[in-house]
Amino acid sequence: MGLFSRFERAIDDGIGRRKLGYALLALVIVFFLWFPNDTSQSNYAKTVFISGFFYAIMSSSWALLAGIAGQFSFGHMAFMGIGAYVAGLIARDGLMFATLGIAITPDSISSIGAIVIGTVVAGLVGLVIGWLLLRLRAAYLALFTIAFSELFRIAMLTEYDYTGGSNGLSLRPLLQVADVDTARQIEYYLMFGLLIACLLVMYRVVQSPIGMFLRAMREDEDAASALGVNVVRYKILVFVFTSMIVGLAGAIFYSDVGSERIIPEQLEVLQMSLIIAYAVIGGMESLFGAAAGAFISRYLLEAMREVVITLPFGLTMADGSDAFVWETGAWRFALFGLVMVFTLRYMRNGLLYPIFNWFSGRDLIMKETVAKRKPDEHDMALPEDRDE
Amino acid sequence: MSEINLELNRIAKRFGGNQAVDHVSFSVTEPQLIGMIGPNGAGKTTLTNLMSGMLKPSSGTIYLNGRRIDGRAPYDVTRAGLGRTFQITRALNRMTVMENMMVPGLAHEPGARQSDLEERARQILSLLTIDHLTNEFSRALSGGQRKLLELGRLLMLDPSVIILDEPFAGVHPRLQETIYNYIHRVHEDGKAIILISHNMGAVFELSQRLIVLNFGALIADGEPQQVKNDPAVIDAYLGHDEDD
Repeated sequence: MGLFSRFERAIDDGIGRRKLGYALLALVIVFFLWFPNDTSQSNYAKTVFISGFFYAIMSSSWALLAGIAGQFSFGHMAFMGIGAYVAGLIARDGLMFATLGIAITPDSISSIGAIVIGTVVAGLVGLVIGWLLLRLRAAYLALFTIAFSELFRIAMLTEYDYTGGSNGLSLRPLLQVADVDTARQIEYYLMFGLLIACLLVMYRVVQSPIGMFLRAMREDEDAASALGVNVVRYKILVFVFTSMIVGLAGAIFYSDVGSERIIPEQLEVLQMSLIIAYAVIGGMESLFGAAAGAFISRYLLEAMREVVITLPFGLTMADGSDAFVWETGAWRFALFGLVMVFTLRYMRNGLLYPIFNWFSGRDLIMKETVAKRKPDEHDMALPEDRDE
Repeated sequence: MSEINLELNRIAKRFGGNQAVDHVSFSVTEPQLIGMIGPNGAGKTTLTNLMSGMLKPSSGTIYLNGRRIDGRAPYDVTRAGLGRTFQITRALNRMTVMENMMVPGLAHEPGARQSDLEERARQILSLLTIDHLTNEFSRALSGGQRKLLELGRLLMLDPSVIILDEPFAGVHPRLQETIYNYIHRVHEDGKAIILISHNMGAVFELSQRLIVLNFGALIADGEPQQVKNDPAVIDAYLGHDEDD
């Protein structure tokens, strides 16, 4: 028996596959933990990774909202922006609750305090938007959230006295580390830790009864309600929860961890479309698929800024070089769009779904179930009985 | 046996100029098998939607076991003890058969152990002869099997009153037999069943009481034999024999 066959038999019981999956996951985590310690890596590479972690949080939380709970929202970047802008404005200008007699002055609030307030405000806005969206579904929900998102972006762009307009708003730096290399390393671990924490919390929710109710709501709100699921509560809950996650991620990322300022351009529909595209490519019904899709896409988009193709058969360019250098510019986004078109047409669960499915052993359970199918009533069902 | 007291008092529903349900009153106080019949557009499904919280009535009240349920959210009505199926089956397509069973189980008994609920779900699926499809996505099920799955989900809720909207429509005779058995079993468990069907044979065979609707109004309520001979029902729905 060949080595591969033995390996295949050893893992082909589902449990073996899962163990292999966990081992690979552990390896990936070890890689990410080791990466910033590799002295050959530039700070630019770490910055690309930090950005990848941020977008992985954005796409995976959108996957929870849209892919798992079925709320196809375009407001995700706006909620992220609310977290960042509120944290920035509070830390710079403070806040006065005249009626309650509470005053938060810039001196009295720390960076962490500002981030917490930004996160809470994002959640509160999520609560209001979730409530307003209760009766809206599908395209109407998407259109509403686009309108909300644009409203917020234009407000941030127009109120330049407060927000800095198109120049953006600088948030108070979260870290005060003089050495650039050390600072980048800490920022890297901070963002990676935030991604892991967000994924774990979201995974816990998805695996709980709440996750099952959210999926039921996605499939059919009326049927879920008739089965005893309080869809109003869970619809609002998922908006508040994901708004707080992206509000937190935005407030931290723009507190000079991944970027030194938040600009309204980041809130454009195009940016939101990218978050959706990353999730679709990775698998919008899978938190880890969407996160991996976002990270890999961000990395490839950076890596493809300049593509060097070594010419074969001793061919040379006019300038004598043996390589063709392609400055991809906007073409890399076109290529990315092509990948998305392919994914939507042929692999609607995302490019990474078959991999996750294989490691979970779920396809084995399905095969077993299909094999058990008896030649009974199902096969005798009348043709009109099959409504698929 | 759970408490049963469903009371509809002059329930009405108007859509614009159309009086879909016209001040209907009846009550269910024991585990009866009640057939609800009437021509298309008589208001049967609208009345079901009013009872299950899918629609708010224009006027009138509905009480279930002493609690007012008209206008309440469907999940609240379900928790109060009224379960329903849909005329066109509404399985949760991209969820497995077991997950379809677990949703009502977990919603109804949030504190229950998952393994206990799964065990109960398996027993119900076995009763309905679809236990071999436990791990299959419900979108892969035939129309008849989906009907059975809907019936199974209801049992996870343990309601005192069940409304079955056209459970036999488009179902193969062998699956109809399974549904017959289900109805008898659930009735023996002490639940009231309101059966809406155009299958007159099944309705007259199963029902202990018949409610007839026409143009949204209740035109007859009584024992099947008595209703069958009611001139108003014959005119509106059953029709006259050719010999007459």
